[in-house]
Amino acid sequence: MDSRKPPPSALVDNHVVPGDVVLDLAEMTNQTIKLGAGLRQDCDTIQATSAGRLRLSKPNKYWVESSQKRYVPSVEDAVLGVVVDTKPDNFLVDIKGPSLAFLPVLAFEGGTRRNIPKFEIGTLIYARVVKANSIMNPELSCMDATGKAAEFGQLKDGYMFDTSTGLSRMLLSSPTCPVLEALGKKLSFEIAVGLNGRVWVNAPSPSNVIVVSNAIIKSESLSGIGQRSMVESLLERLS
Amino acid sequence: MDHHQRWRPTVNEREFIERALQSDLRVDGRRPFDFRRLKILFGREDGSAEVQLGDTRVMGYATAQLVQPYKDRPNEGTLAIFTEFSPMADPAFEPGRPGESAIELGRVVDRGLRWWSPEIAVWESRAVDMESLCVVAGKHVWSVRVDLHILDNGGNLIDAANIAALAALSTFRRPECTVGGEDGQQVTVHDPEVRDPLPLTIHHLPIAVTFAYFGEGNIMVIDPTYKEEAVMGGRMTATINSNGDVCSIQKAGGEGVMSSVIMQCLRIASVKAADITSKIKNEVNSYTSAKALQKVKRLPASALKKDNAPDVAMKEGSDVALETQSTKASSDGQQINKEPPSVVKDNKQEDVEPMLTECNPEAQSESRLTAGESDEKQEVISPKSLKDAVKPKHKRKKKQHKNS
Repeated sequence: MDSRKPPPSALVDNHVVPGDVVLDLAEMTNQTIKLGAGLRQDCDTIQATSAGRLRLSKPNKYWVESSQKRYVPSVEDAVLGVVVDTKPDNFLVDIKGPSLAFLPVLAFEGGTRRNIPKFEIGTLIYARVVKANSIMNPELSCMDATGKAAEFGQLKDGYMFDTSTGLSRMLLSSPTCPVLEALGKKLSFEIAVGLNGRVWVNAPSPSNVIVVSNAIIKSESLSGIGQRSMVESLLERLS
Repeated sequence: MDHHQRWRPTVNEREFIERALQSDLRVDGRRPFDFRRLKILFGREDGSAEVQLGDTRVMGYATAQLVQPYKDRPNEGTLAIFTEFSPMADPAFEPGRPGESAIELGRVVDRGLRWWSPEIAVWESRAVDMESLCVVAGKHVWSVRVDLHILDNGGNLIDAANIAALAALSTFRRPECTVGGEDGQQVTVHDPEVRDPLPLTIHHLPIAVTFAYFGEGNIMVIDPTYKEEAVMGGRMTATINSNGDVCSIQKAGGEGVMSSVIMQCLRIASVKAADITSKIKNEVNSYTSAKALQKVKRLPASALKKDNAPDVAMKEGSDVALETQSTKASSDGQQINKEPPSVVKDNKQEDVEPMLTECNPEAQSESRLTAGESDEKQEVISPKSLKDAVKPKHKRKKKQHKNS
């Protein structure tokens, strides 16, 4: 029984809408499957609860990947947040979620009461989601799991713009997505992508920042080839 | 934790936008005096237009209604602009009780829109000929109403709303009406199917062009985006037509600007206004010619309809009148000014002319023939039509179907 291939769910890599039956558990016995975002169990069926593309990570992880303007926090996501308020114990950070996130003032590498960082309102922060549930505000941290700063923290200079969550996921995909690869060949720039649909770009000259950010925004609906040719035409205009 | 406040840029964005502007660069890749891509779409009904200016989207919708004129201007129609800020367009726009910052934004934009771009710009500069909207002096004039719905706020709402209003007014058609009867006071509104509805007389198109100032007022850009609006130090909107006549200038707060800079802005604005005017005119022309072609194709069907139209149409006509009254009554609450509510009463009392239908979108789509040809007929029918009005709408529609 176990040797049987996991029923591949005809919908894998296809678009699903809420209510679509993704898997029928009655046909699968003695199997474990893991459900991710956008799926739920309803008696003997697994149904989609959000619209998007159904993904399968072999052997048994299923989830629905969608592109939205709003971000639903989930643990271990790297996000770009904007400080909107400071409290004695926490910074209140907007991460485009349904509620503001807390960033404890001690959640920095070597953080103690003595060396609390000073962030003015509007500071851009690259952080990691450490707690996310539906009843509490999400919690962020500027340390990785081992307590190191690991690139997290305040982002200075540069330019930040909003994208959809789908686009930011595309930018983070490996192998490197075509638009970043094509840009990286000609220009040097720094980039930080938050899974919450925010991208920060920095480069020595403002014109490069503008080219990179516009190329990324335009690449949302383009194929790989389309992205490369779009970047080429943009760079031609620049030079 | 109030999420519903004006969006504030991050420190990084603010600094970058200003730094880039110092070398004449804008974050969306435009040059300082480029407008974003302008797209004008028209709805199926006459007088509805949607304008997309980059990410900004505004819908304009023009309607008209026969009302009593103002006492001091008995032979002029009226034009009123109403704006609608949906929270879908911008989280800062809130329905119900708005937050402090939402009020501030709403006021600034609302004042911007009603005080100048549409109302003063269109009205005071007399873009629309008001005298041609008069039907019976002192008694009946057309009151044109333009509703502007902000669908998406991507910055520079004023210019987009202004273009939407102009496009809506340019395609708007009001039903033709004639004056007759024994006393020469009786107004007949003709069905658009029978007599072609008439366009408004528009003398010129006043175009709003908005400038944003940065730094100490020495850097300026045209058509600011949402982000640039959040960073800018001041703003000025010039309304100007393609002849270069300045219809109005609005400068509300912010950085002071040198008079020489204003003159430079006006020169730039007049060039932009000419571009936008020709764009609007082209779009309107292609829309009207497409509409005219459609009409030619549809002609046989409408000719067929005419045979048994009068009987049904009489009832329908009076129905429509009643509906009109009810919609009017309900909308009176929103209308801050102008239309004296006495008009509604007027219609009820004088059975002679209950046919003062407006260009209601529902009413227009239904086939109706405005009656009022003879007073007797009217009175015979009126009790019946009252019953009809009480019936639920779907039943009425069925009946109409059966009859026709």
